[in-house]
Amino acid sequence: MKHKFANVYLILVFLILYAPIIFLIAYSFSQGETMTNFHGFTWRHYQTLFSDSRMLAIVANTLLVALLSALIATLIGTLGALSITRTTKRVTRESLLALNNVLMVSPDVIIGASFLIFFTMLKIPLGFGTVLMSHIAFEIPIVVLMVLPRLREMSASLLDAAQDLGATTRQLLTQVIIPFISPGIFAGFFMALTYSLDDFAVTFFVTGNGFSTLSVEIYSRARQGINLEINALSGVMFLFSLLLVGGYYWIQQASHKRRQRKREVAS
Amino acid sequence: MKRLISLIISLLAICGLLAFSSHQLQASSGSTGSKVLNLYNWGDYIDPHLLTKFQQETGYHVNVETFDSNEAMYTKINQGGTHYDLAIPSEYMVAKMKRAHLLQPLDHHRLTGLHNYDQQFLHQSFDPHNRYSLPYFWGTLGIIYNDKFIQPGTIRHWNDLWSVKYRDKIMLIDSARDIMGMALVSQGQSMNTTNPTTLRAAEQKLTRLAPNVKATVADEIKMYMTQNEAPLAVDWSGEAAEMLANNSHLHYVVPSEGSNLWIDNLVIPKTAQHYNAIYAFLNFMSEPQNAAQNAEYVGYATPNRAAKALLPAADRHDQQFYPPAATLRRLEVYRDLSPAKVELYNDLYLEFKMHH
Repeated sequence: MKHKFANVYLILVFLILYAPIIFLIAYSFSQGETMTNFHGFTWRHYQTLFSDSRMLAIVANTLLVALLSALIATLIGTLGALSITRTTKRVTRESLLALNNVLMVSPDVIIGASFLIFFTMLKIPLGFGTVLMSHIAFEIPIVVLMVLPRLREMSASLLDAAQDLGATTRQLLTQVIIPFISPGIFAGFFMALTYSLDDFAVTFFVTGNGFSTLSVEIYSRARQGINLEINALSGVMFLFSLLLVGGYYWIQQASHKRRQRKREVAS
Repeated sequence: MKRLISLIISLLAICGLLAFSSHQLQASSGSTGSKVLNLYNWGDYIDPHLLTKFQQETGYHVNVETFDSNEAMYTKINQGGTHYDLAIPSEYMVAKMKRAHLLQPLDHHRLTGLHNYDQQFLHQSFDPHNRYSLPYFWGTLGIIYNDKFIQPGTIRHWNDLWSVKYRDKIMLIDSARDIMGMALVSQGQSMNTTNPTTLRAAEQKLTRLAPNVKATVADEIKMYMTQNEAPLAVDWSGEAAEMLANNSHLHYVVPSEGSNLWIDNLVIPKTAQHYNAIYAFLNFMSEPQNAAQNAEYVGYATPNRAAKALLPAADRHDQQFYPPAATLRRLEVYRDLSPAKVELYNDLYLEFKMHH
């Protein structure tokens, strides 16, 4: 009985979470022009989307910025987390962490505006470079926060044991620490990726000279009312995130199996 | 570790692929050449076919970048670092940009389509001799009613909204200047009044409207009205056009005693670089045929008199969106008020909102 209730609750929660997305995607197949009534099935909005080369270029730009910035931020953030845990002085460590967290909680608008002032002061033309740099900057704290817990979980004796067995510093990093914290690194990468994909406030300030991302483009259509081409785009993006999550799951499974196989061979 | 590195490499490969395809897509639409025009526009506020036509006729490729509010656009242009050749601010923002020296004067000798515009929309208070701006689209503030609940013809004036019949039936657009302005006009005052006593009186009058107000909302008003949630609403004509398109029971009325006239304008910001392209574009958009095509796509009223003549008769004679000349004369453009006065408007409006 208790179990049944838990299942119903679970299904209800997922339904509420997914209903708006399904609603949105369903209307991308509607023959009408707006989301008020469903007028029968059509692929028309997908055709307009795929013939709109400006929109497709924006999609490509958005994905490019998201992947590249997440990759670089993951590299920098992981190194940052490593150095934070290596800091022995408690005051320094805590203040480093606090500085990292301040960036996490400060409003995007303020970060965006300060980037705009910063870049224009340095006479850096706005565009791909500025968007990429600012995305990397606001993603680093997220990666640090995702990697730190894994590093803290790692026991010091593991490192001592590795050193006793003759591991060099390099080996220690590549064969002990990184494999251990890799779930944290992956989580950080995916968090950074999603933050980059849906950021509007910061991106708005630093786009320019013909470079734009999806969130900026969609927001700016609000005054005219959003047409169903955007619904079609949401459908495509949703499919993309499904594939992404699927890919992540597949990687995890594959590595899990490999590890198990290794263990079997060893025993 | 090996796996991590191979992952990084494959990610970089995907990035390279994306960069290449983005470049290809932009090249296929010709934006990488030197003959370009950078247009800073509201989202979806120009017919994309016109941009293709413009490129075919003149060879200039239009890069469109978009903004979602006048203030956001102002910040981007003011800060520099961008190269916008043309922008489309609303009238009060034209005044503000002019004061901040963000605009460059238009060279009237290079404009070939000026005579196509209706005099009504030229020489406005925000730019007396159109030294800096050309009107792009215009609209009004008015009342939307649903004929399922309200007999057509019963709503003609602002004062009709105060009737006890409409208890809890009206939705207002959440905008201090517009709602205060509505109360002012209903008392025969100017929408640009700065007299504190007159403004207080308007606030008093608004308070009497409070029992009739169902909600004060922003963009959602469109959705509520389309779904027959309320019989009456006060909103802008652009929003009204969209509601009417989705629900045939809705109608739009501009009260004959007066209302607001808003105008979006083409201006040349100080960041402009491609002057030949700018004038080619301004002249292209002034051509009646193109302006008419754009008006049909966007659905707003065009200030181009010659273009209006080319619109389908049903649009041209639609008094909801092209009000009769007598009403048109009584429409007022918002003047750019001093910060202290703007604050007074906002404070009084806030008082009204708290009452209700």
